[in-house]
Amino acid sequence: MIEIINVSKWFGEHKVLDNVNETINKGQVVVICGPSGSGKSTLLKSLNGLEPFQEGDIRVDGISLKDPKTNFIMLRQKMGMVFQRFELYPHLKVLENITIAPIKVLNQSKSKAGQKAMELLERVGIPEQAEKYPGNLSGGQQQRVAIARALAMEPDIMLFDEPTSALDPEMIKEVLDVMVDLAKSGMTMAVVTHEMGFAKEVADEIIFMDEGRIVERGTDKSFFENPESERAKEFLRKILI
Amino acid sequence: MLNYDFKWSILWSDPYGGWILEGVATTVKLGILCCIFAMLLGIIIGTFRITQFKPLRIFAEAYTEFFRDIPLLVQLFFWYFAVPSLLPEGMRTWVYQEIPDFEFWIVVVGLSLYSSSRVAEQIRAGINSISPDQFNAALSTGFSHYQAYRYVIIPLAVRLVLPPLTTEILTIFKNTALAMTVGVLETTFMSQQVEAYTFHGLEATTAACVIYMIITLIVVGVMGWIEKLLAVPGLIIRKGADS
Repeated sequence: MIEIINVSKWFGEHKVLDNVNETINKGQVVVICGPSGSGKSTLLKSLNGLEPFQEGDIRVDGISLKDPKTNFIMLRQKMGMVFQRFELYPHLKVLENITIAPIKVLNQSKSKAGQKAMELLERVGIPEQAEKYPGNLSGGQQQRVAIARALAMEPDIMLFDEPTSALDPEMIKEVLDVMVDLAKSGMTMAVVTHEMGFAKEVADEIIFMDEGRIVERGTDKSFFENPESERAKEFLRKILI
Repeated sequence: MLNYDFKWSILWSDPYGGWILEGVATTVKLGILCCIFAMLLGIIIGTFRITQFKPLRIFAEAYTEFFRDIPLLVQLFFWYFAVPSLLPEGMRTWVYQEIPDFEFWIVVVGLSLYSSSRVAEQIRAGINSISPDQFNAALSTGFSHYQAYRYVIIPLAVRLVLPPLTTEILTIFKNTALAMTVGVLETTFMSQQVEAYTFHGLEATTAACVIYMIITLIVVGVMGWIEKLLAVPGLIIRKGADS
């Protein structure tokens, strides 16, 4: 469970997160949307300590990110993350991309990590790509490898930072399918995305952010059919055309 | 009419041929050692320059500026003449007379430090060209900062800067010629010695030129091979985009 309590963050003078409060319960899927520059990626990256924040606190399973004793390395092992531009390790083969963290961080044997990696590649539908380099894969395949890489650490929570916005349209679905499966399997997920189809299908809650604030929140129906704020109405009009 | 009496055969006559070969061996040894130390130190210092930890950053910046802003020749003189003179009399004599190949090791130190500052700048440029999210991705899988650099960032940065590193390695081999100024019997020194004994400076110096050319061409070949060996699909052309 993640509790975000009165979190504020500044880049210099500019306030990028403004008193954000939110709770993500175990097994919940929360979709974060909003215009660019609204702070949604920053919020997501602050959940696993990649972005520090000045005020407030975030607790992951009761562990405070503001506590100087918190071990971020341990924390991040429990939180997988998927990035907009995949960020696979280009010098390692697909299988090595997935096994390197289990081998180096969890001290798993090569064979055990490799076996698990193959299972994960089956799960994301591309076991035949195991021996290729990321540069030889399509964007959609790379993003599925990135999801497998994150899952290899057996995280309790998965964070997605605009996982489909760098993809060609015909590849978006193959990535979303994997994410929907993951959501349905009970994974706790925080997803920054504009894919409203995905939000409608699996989101337990949708957060709309603007200028660092959560302007509106709702379940899919209430949010899509009847947004309260003008800003959300305008945003939805633009992206749903 | 040219009245220079060419006598190329002195280059392979005894003892001059042997001198030159000894010189080549010393040049190669010196160059290889300096390359290894310059690369290792350069990678460490270049990485320090972009860490979050400020004292390390300041140290690395001072290091880089110190060693790359002073002429190499002056640095060699500094290590060879100035530093030992800080030692007490007895120890100084001991250093110069008893340490085997003292001049050689002084040049290894001086040239490695000088070159490492230049390598560090190239490594820094390489690291800076890697997207911050690549580092974040490594951290997000539970890597420590050290592991993220060790397994992801440095291997990528080194690949990205291999072409300028090749030039740097060539420079190291060429800079070993300055070792003659502190009395290391390398190629340049030996060719000058042949000249002094035979008055055939043109042949001796030409031999040195050809030798350096051959050494550097071998380096270019080896580095080209390493570049191919480490080549990664899609890395330099376009990172991670749909193809």
